[in-house]
Amino acid sequence: MSNSRLLNRRLKSWPGWVLLVLVVVGFGVVGATRDRGPLDPGDRIDELSRRVACPVCDGESVYESRNPASEAIRAAIREAVSQGTANDDAILAAIAEAYGGRVLLVPRATGFDALVWALPVTAGVIGIVALVFAFRRWRIEAGLAGVANDEDYQIVAAERERLGDAGGD
Amino acid sequence: MPALSVNAALGNAGLLVMLVASTVGAFATAMAIAGGNRRAIRQGPTFAWVILAGAVLAVVMMQRALFTRDFSIDFIQQVGSTTTPWLYNLAAMWSALEGSILLWVIVLAGFTAAVARRFRDRSDDELVGWALVVMYVVCAFFALVSFGPASPFARGEAVPLDFVGPGPNPLLQNHILVMFHPPILYLGYVGFTVPFAFAIAALITGRVGEGWLLETRRWALFSWGFLTIGILLGAWWSYEVLGWSGVWAWDPVENASLLPWLTGTAYIHSVLVQQRRGMLRVWNLSLLVATFSLTILGTFITRSGIVNSVHAFAAGEVDGYLIGFFALVVLVSLGLIGWRGDRLRSPGQIDSPVSREGAFLANNVVFAVFAFIVLLGTVFPLLVEVIQDRQTVVGAPYFDRLSMPIGLVLLFLMAVAPVLPWRKASTELLRDRLFWPAWCGAAALAIAVLTGADGWAPLVAFALGGFAAGAAGRQIALATRRQGWRGLVGRANGGMFVHLGVILIAVALAASNSYTHSATLVLEQGEEVSWAGHTFELVEVVDELDERVDVARANVLVDRTKIYGPAVTTYLLQGMVVPTPSVRTGFAKDVYLTIDGNSPPPAGSTEVTLRVFVKPLILWMWVGGAIMAIGTVLSAVPSARHRRPTDATSAPLAEVGRVG
Repeated sequence: MSNSRLLNRRLKSWPGWVLLVLVVVGFGVVGATRDRGPLDPGDRIDELSRRVACPVCDGESVYESRNPASEAIRAAIREAVSQGTANDDAILAAIAEAYGGRVLLVPRATGFDALVWALPVTAGVIGIVALVFAFRRWRIEAGLAGVANDEDYQIVAAERERLGDAGGD
Repeated sequence: MPALSVNAALGNAGLLVMLVASTVGAFATAMAIAGGNRRAIRQGPTFAWVILAGAVLAVVMMQRALFTRDFSIDFIQQVGSTTTPWLYNLAAMWSALEGSILLWVIVLAGFTAAVARRFRDRSDDELVGWALVVMYVVCAFFALVSFGPASPFARGEAVPLDFVGPGPNPLLQNHILVMFHPPILYLGYVGFTVPFAFAIAALITGRVGEGWLLETRRWALFSWGFLTIGILLGAWWSYEVLGWSGVWAWDPVENASLLPWLTGTAYIHSVLVQQRRGMLRVWNLSLLVATFSLTILGTFITRSGIVNSVHAFAAGEVDGYLIGFFALVVLVSLGLIGWRGDRLRSPGQIDSPVSREGAFLANNVVFAVFAFIVLLGTVFPLLVEVIQDRQTVVGAPYFDRLSMPIGLVLLFLMAVAPVLPWRKASTELLRDRLFWPAWCGAAALAIAVLTGADGWAPLVAFALGGFAAGAAGRQIALATRRQGWRGLVGRANGGMFVHLGVILIAVALAASNSYTHSATLVLEQGEEVSWAGHTFELVEVVDELDERVDVARANVLVDRTKIYGPAVTTYLLQGMVVPTPSVRTGFAKDVYLTIDGNSPPPAGSTEVTLRVFVKPLILWMWVGGAIMAIGTVLSAVPSARHRRPTDATSAPLAEVGRVG
């Protein structure tokens, strides 16, 4: 075995992985918990205007639209932000009150509208359960059919490794 | 009412020829196959050339009508104008419902002729024959729609002699991309008709093995590639033209293009499992049927006027036709899959979730759930209106929230799947193969944090992006070391380039969605304003007027280096005002300037209000798109890899009988 391959193998042993985990956790914690400071008023106005539909346009949000109606809502949001209204929900509720609930682009999580949140979760759960059942069935079938076992795979894997296979198809 | 012009007469004649040729072609070829008449079957492809001739004649006449401003035709009265520049006049064909169907018609006729030519040596093969029958049926449907309810050659009301015409929607004569985005998107949409046609042919003939997959692999790949490029060009157009600095608004029509892309992407992955292991036959057929039927559903959504969208055309009479055809496609396909259920049962098992095929299955579940979310969010307002008789909207924040975790899972799968072997992976093998890709992920995370990134979601995206890029780079490096330049081509290696493109796009989206800053700046002439580390100075406001448009441009000096000119264009005929942003593009970030408000600043004004956006890494989205396109081409080039005795082989397949 050449020196470089030996070094490569040593690096890939458990201390290398432990160091990797430490680096990821360290940088991850620093980055995720870093204090961003107060949200810039402009960014907050953008964030809120993304959640409100232009009341007279075809499918645009207030953030995207240049319609005077959107300009008016953006001005109302700007006003509320500049007055120091602390709660985003309060600002959105005031807009919904003025223009009707249909201007809010994030559906409610109550009543019939809750379906738009619940159904994707249900679909995801069904997908995972289907995969689990499929693999269980295949494992049972494989046991009955007497196909290659772990030991066989290890022999093949060792031979592929010896030949330097990348794992591509 | 004016007399029927030559353009309209010949255009209608072309569509009629296409309608008749495709109907007769479908019947004649089907009857010939059913009757076992080999000589007649060999005549089948001839109809494709007649269909193409009819479609070309119709399009040539439409273009002639546009260029001669033939206002006797209703469609030209809607989109033609004596003032429209020739380039946009050419593109005016697909700027409204009837012309866009005509674009569909010509692309479909082109694909049909290409299939006839590609398989000309096997024209008496029943699989090819039935595939042509399916293509002819689809051609007949679109020819019928174009000849009937969406006729682009319908006679218009009489107009005055000095009628100028409105021209296309100003947004469709504002940027060169109008020439490329719709046709390329249509090449993707319509291209999926070919693998769909072969899938249906395989079901009819009972040859549901892997033969039809191999025949259509490149057709599916190129269609997917065109759809990808078309969608990305749409994003670029949105960014360059619409003035809100975004690339994707989750608009219903954008979603309609994303849906077949999602199922198509799932297909081009899961088809590998069928080719390699002979499994997932029903699933792959279902994905193709879903992809094709979603293109029809998307067309229905765009053209029926049932959704509110900036893209939607005026409501036409085609909605009944399209939804009827959609239902027909779904019912016939499901019926055929049910009928061939016994032959579709594939032998073999997927041994372990930790295997290449296990990763493909997980990928498919994620893409299927993603497609379901996009479809649900798009049609949910309709459901609420029908069931509860009230109006609601489901907008970008909903899709953003749900697509973010899905995107992260897909990045993880892109990181792990390329290193997994077929059948089963041992812990030792994973530890060995994932080590350096995982360190690439750690390095990406470290660089992101050290350059000031924060927030857990974008950081996870950057780390997984680095991880996935490491896995793709590993595959390419090992393949090129083994095979030289041939290690760059082929399904697996070309696919890794596509992955690299996707990763760049994902990282660019994560960065731009998380770290875009914007401000409204009031600039006065000669006074410098500083914001977000940049300086802005209004040099002058100029007005450029011609017979078509009045452009008010604010020349702004950015960072004391270069003048950028965001503008507001007033289209005089339509009275419509369109903002045109000006962008300073950079490797690290773009500075995006657009004039605020909906009215142009007066010429000579000494003050202007700008909306300024600073968007990080957005350039890499377009670079990623280009790499995806290159990777798609590389994937289509056969690799010269020779199998070794130790390579895993497919499970033996039970021989299935052939019909005829």
